[in-house]
Amino acid sequence: MNDPSKMKHDCPNQKDCLQLLQAILDGEATKEQKEHFMKEHLDSCMPCYQNYHLEVAIRDLLKKKCTREAPQELIDSIKKQIEQNLRA
Amino acid sequence: MEEEIIKNNYTDAQKSRIFDQEFMPHINAMYNFAYRLTLDRDDAKDLLQDTYLKAYRFIDSFQEGTNAKAWLFRILKNSFINDYRKKSKEPAKVDYQEVETYYNSEDVDRQITPDLRVESLSNMIGDEISNALNALDVDFRTVIILCDLEGFKYEEMAKILDIPIGTVRSRLHRARNLLKEKLSEYAKSMGYKTA
Ligand SMILES: [Zn+2]
Ligand SMILES: [Zn+2]
Repeated sequence: MNDPSKMKHDCPNQKDCLQLLQAILDGEATKEQKEHFMKEHLDSCMPCYQNYHLEVAIRDLLKKKCTREAPQELIDSIKKQIEQNLRA
Repeated sequence: MEEEIIKNNYTDAQKSRIFDQEFMPHINAMYNFAYRLTLDRDDAKDLLQDTYLKAYRFIDSFQEGTNAKAWLFRILKNSFINDYRKKSKEPAKVDYQEVETYYNSEDVDRQITPDLRVESLSNMIGDEISNALNALDVDFRTVIILCDLEGFKYEEMAKILDIPIGTVRSRLHRARNLLKEKLSEYAKSMGYKTA
C-alpha cells in the first residue's frame, strides 16, 4: 500500500479535504472527486489518510452502538390501534 | 413532499397493505430516531405511536412507490418539534440562527481540530459514543442520525428537515466536528493518548 515515509505530513487544505472526504463517504461526491481523492490524495497525504480511517471508524461505531430496536409490545400496540382504526 | 399533495383514495385493504409493507419495516429506525430526539424511553414510545397514527391518518397523501422512510421520518421530526420539544427538559432553545452562525464561523473551525485517534475509538466499547451523540444539540444530533445511521442522502435530509441542502452539508460537517470533540474528551478522560 502506501509508504508512510513518502507521505506528506501537512495537508494544505485539510478543511476542504475533510469536507470532500465526508461527501465521498456519504455517497455525495462525483466519480472524479472520488477517484482523485481516494487514488491520489489519500496515498500521499498523512493527515487525510488518518482522517479517512477516523471517519470510517466513527461511522462503524455509531452503527454498532447507537441503534436500538423498538420494544415488541410497542409494535404490537401500534398494530392493534391501526387494526381498530380500519375496522371503525 | 408538501409541494404537491396528491390525495389518493386507498381502500381499506390497500391502506392495510401499505401500512404493513411500507411503514412497519421502518419501525426500529423510527423508534431509534424518536429515542435519540427525546432521550427518554417513554417519550420515545409516545412519539413513535403518535407518528404512526398520524401516518395512518394521512396515508392518502402518501404516494406508493415513493420513499416511505423519508416520509415517516419527516412526520416524526415535525411531531417532535410541535409536541415534544416544547415540553422536553432540554434547556430553553437558543435562537437557532445564532447557533448556526456561531458554528459556521471560521474561529470555531480553527478551534475544533480534535486530535482523536482510531486506536482510542477501538477502546470505546461502552456507551461513550452514544453519550457523545446524545450530548450534542438536538439539531446536530439529528443530522448525524439521518446521515450516518440511516443513510439518507443530503437531498432527502433537506426535505425531512425543511432546510436547504447547503445547510444540511454545513450542519453535518459541524456536527461531526463536535462529535469528534466530545469523543476526544472521553478519550482524554479515559487516559488514552489522543495525539
Ligand atoms: Zn490532504
Ligand atoms: Zn486534496
